[in-house]
Amino acid sequence: MSSALLKVCVALAVVAATVTWWQTRAAQVPAWTAAEIVILRSLTLESLPPLPPDPSNTVAANTKAAEFGRQLFFDSRLSATGGISCATCHQPGRHFTDGLRKAEALGTSMRNTPSIVGTAYSPWLYWDGRRDSQWAQALSPLEDPNEHGSSRIQIVSVIAADETYRQTYESLFGELGDVSGLNEVVLNTAFANVGKVLAAFERTLMPEASRFDDYVAEVVSGSKDDRTALFSDDEVSGLRLFIGKANCTQCHNGPMLTNNEFHNTGVLSSPGELPDKGRAGGVREVLADPFNCLGEYSDDPEHRCSELSFVRSGAELIGAFRTPSLRNVAGTAPYMHKGQLASLNEVLEHYNLAPDAMIGHNEAKPLKLNARELRQLEAFLMTLTSPITGNQSESM
Amino acid sequence: MIAVLLLGCLVTTILPGAAVAHGGVVEEDDLCVIKVDYLRAHFKVYQPRVSGHQQFCEDLPVASESVFVMEYLHDALADMPIDFRIIRNITGKGRFARMEDVEQLEDLDHATVFYQPALAEPDVFTVVHDFAEEGDFIGIVSATHPGTKKVYAAVFPFEVGFTGIGYWPLFVAALVLLQLQYLFMSGRLKRWMGRWGGNASSLCLCALLLASADAVLADDDLRVTYTTPPGLPDINRMHSWILHVESADGVAIENATIDVTGGMPEHDHGLPTHPRVTEELGGGDYRLDGVRFHMRGYWEIEVAVTTEDGTSVVVIPLRL
Repeated sequence: MSSALLKVCVALAVVAATVTWWQTRAAQVPAWTAAEIVILRSLTLESLPPLPPDPSNTVAANTKAAEFGRQLFFDSRLSATGGISCATCHQPGRHFTDGLRKAEALGTSMRNTPSIVGTAYSPWLYWDGRRDSQWAQALSPLEDPNEHGSSRIQIVSVIAADETYRQTYESLFGELGDVSGLNEVVLNTAFANVGKVLAAFERTLMPEASRFDDYVAEVVSGSKDDRTALFSDDEVSGLRLFIGKANCTQCHNGPMLTNNEFHNTGVLSSPGELPDKGRAGGVREVLADPFNCLGEYSDDPEHRCSELSFVRSGAELIGAFRTPSLRNVAGTAPYMHKGQLASLNEVLEHYNLAPDAMIGHNEAKPLKLNARELRQLEAFLMTLTSPITGNQSESM
Repeated sequence: MIAVLLLGCLVTTILPGAAVAHGGVVEEDDLCVIKVDYLRAHFKVYQPRVSGHQQFCEDLPVASESVFVMEYLHDALADMPIDFRIIRNITGKGRFARMEDVEQLEDLDHATVFYQPALAEPDVFTVVHDFAEEGDFIGIVSATHPGTKKVYAAVFPFEVGFTGIGYWPLFVAALVLLQLQYLFMSGRLKRWMGRWGGNASSLCLCALLLASADAVLADDDLRVTYTTPPGLPDINRMHSWILHVESADGVAIENATIDVTGGMPEHDHGLPTHPRVTEELGGGDYRLDGVRFHMRGYWEIEVAVTTEDGTSVVVIPLRL
């Protein structure tokens, strides 16, 4: 055999091997089944229903109120020292979290700062659901001595003393009057209104489409095969694990990737602290909150409060916390209610082991995933990053 | 054979020594239980900084931050103010210290290293103490009945810096086995057994707990059907059902009291809400409000229908 023929043979063999390898590789990434595509679609923003109305807040969808709320959100005069605003912990540059284990304002807060993006879709606010609307939640940090450390009268006085604020307030809610002589109900009403304009701003904060949403759109359109340029093989495998054997969609379901419910996942207590009882305490607190949906400061005369009216209690809620949205999860470390876990890798390792809970009962079961699968899951979670809608500028 | 049986008994009696409990804390069916008089609670201790999720019954391996947890097995404890004290064990009675030994101490406060004043905890009782040094300690739990003011107490001596007992029980067991074999061969064991009037196997059986199966209640007298708005039931949406209740022969059941519970048997959790019948619509129809599901998978909805004839429970299977 001549050397030229030998070279051709070798070249052909190399081409054949490459084609075989490519086909094998393609076979390792099987096509999505029709049933899987239904699940994938249910997780994308395309499936997100319109913003649910908030009848307890008449200015919820008012753009003037949202703009007023944006100004208040960044205004540090709404604090005892004049140095703390909502944005101290809910930082726009960090997807409205702060990168700390537990929030730091006037003091150290009780828990990790949750993002407020997309919370208009949640019936419950906070890790333990101790508030039942965005506006009732927005009021709570203002009076928390470790956060804004302010008071109702001080907050309302700031609005009354600032001519622009006062005018905007009165155009939305009517005359504010002399704040020094307000009786309790009138003061509480004015205070609640501050929460309602903050909520109108927060309501505009929604995640935009992420690479994951775009990938699913391509898969659904069928314009390309499942191996599009948008997702790597690891990301596809991670997504397959996410909706499959990693059981993530049991809780992280729907377009916001959360069921907004409460689950005990057996996370260790925070150093120096008692294990947090979570929802077991939160359910008592929301029922006692004067600013809840059934209370007199709700704007809904019919008090349509199906969540609060049919709220459940019981031992199952001990150590249970609200499922956070996974949108922008890569940018919101550290994780869990006290920021106990520093990285996504630690979170995945935790769910893979699913240890017994210190208090209550861990609902999760061990996943028995290998290191490669955990890496693939993490790769998929990184595809959920996206910009946030709404004007987040600090300027007045 | 008897020797093997006895070895089994000895090993099972000695080996749990790694978590041997004393005083008011006892081991029951792999659980550590504290008995505060007749009131019982699941008792466990964690050292989360050094050993993560590992549970201890009471003896702790090192001086470190330790979280004591009491999960009530008796509901009355949820309403009782409970105080929790840890003292250095200066009773001179070591592991056999009892309440009366603690009561005889002249200066309890001086010996106290941790004290949680009485506190009623409705869900679970927890305290955290960072042990500064290793040594012998006594835990004292007192629960006060809110009505009668009677105080129920439990005392449990424990060790911090407990290194475990290693392999010596196995060594002892092997020695005992050899001795038993000798006794058996020499015929003395048979004579001893006869004198005891019992037998070794009963000793072993006493440690076994027989699990009782839950009775499964089926109801053939009742039929419950449900209707939902279009597209429902689905997850994460609050909605209503119309329940229709009728007897097996198709007669509508009216004026019934209906309780609805349910959950996911595969996930050990219940419904996320507490649905209730808010209106009886007539003709055996009832409006059920506050229904929401938060996970896909297999659910079971239990509908308990109470009439003057009694209560019947019908289980509705549901796959979302």
